[in-house]
Amino acid sequence: MAEFLRTFAGGSLDLLWRVFVIVVPIMVVLELFEGTRGFRAVVRWWARIVRHVGLDERSAAPTLVGFLFGLAYGGGVIVRDVRRHDLPRRQVFIMSVFLSMVHAIVEDSLIFIALGASVLWVVAYRILWAALVTLALTALAAHWLRRRRRDDTALRGGPGSR
Amino acid sequence: MTGPDDIPGAPLPQPPAGFWPTVRRDLKLGVVSGLQTFWDLAKVMIPAYGVTLALERLGVIGWLADAARPVMTALGLPGDAAVPLVVGYVLNIYAAVGSMQALDLTPQQITVLAIAILIGHNLVVEGAVLHKAGMNGVLFGGLRIVAGLAAAAVANLLMGLM
Repeated sequence: MAEFLRTFAGGSLDLLWRVFVIVVPIMVVLELFEGTRGFRAVVRWWARIVRHVGLDERSAAPTLVGFLFGLAYGGGVIVRDVRRHDLPRRQVFIMSVFLSMVHAIVEDSLIFIALGASVLWVVAYRILWAALVTLALTALAAHWLRRRRRDDTALRGGPGSR
Repeated sequence: MTGPDDIPGAPLPQPPAGFWPTVRRDLKLGVVSGLQTFWDLAKVMIPAYGVTLALERLGVIGWLADAARPVMTALGLPGDAAVPLVVGYVLNIYAAVGSMQALDLTPQQITVLAIAILIGHNLVVEGAVLHKAGMNGVLFGGLRIVAGLAAAAVANLLMGLM
């Protein structure tokens, strides 16, 4: 047990340190450059790409951070933006699905490429797969929500009865 | 940042005039939201890390790997490939790569296994972050396992055709 606690304490400190040295610089850079013309151009360019999976311009920055640095860091920016300007739940869902399938594109991919995995499959195929899964699940979720809403109105006595 | 503007969730104060005052304000904002995000992530990541360590100590990895063995054949992988896969699910990519080193795999097998691990890994800790963003971390963990295996199976088939 004492050994377990020692591992836990050491690992926690290591984890906290790694998160700290990534999150704080990302946030400082975001706040410093978020208002600049160059940053907006990059976000708009990225927004034009992720528009195809249903993400709007407000979700582009957190998606870019997650795509480049990792799910945890993108998730951190999502939490900040939900708090700051009320990102719609639908957008958070789409971002979560997309980033679940592909994130930390440079670091994670390089680890496996170094091991001998094919760049084409590990990078291009994974991005394509992420886009397809995101589109499919968004459509499924929308369908499911519509049906539930219809059932709700049916339970209350059909349309127009409220 | 004093006075009524300090309420959380309040709109950001008007940018001060001049270049350096703006930089100073944004630096301060960046450090504040960096620390805030760091704290948000730490609150969910540390308990999740504890759960992960406990799962490892309880031998859950070996048990899950035995259960996943038959699935490996469908991906064109040896049964032992279940170990790095499950290590990736419970721990992280680095641990998975470590246990992959012990296997003798062809380049195609490395790529297929890499795809499954790249989509599904570190499920407890990253699921906790998704939970913080308002999503169901358990469902997303399941999604990443299923979608990752499906992506690997499709890749294996396509690579066989090429």
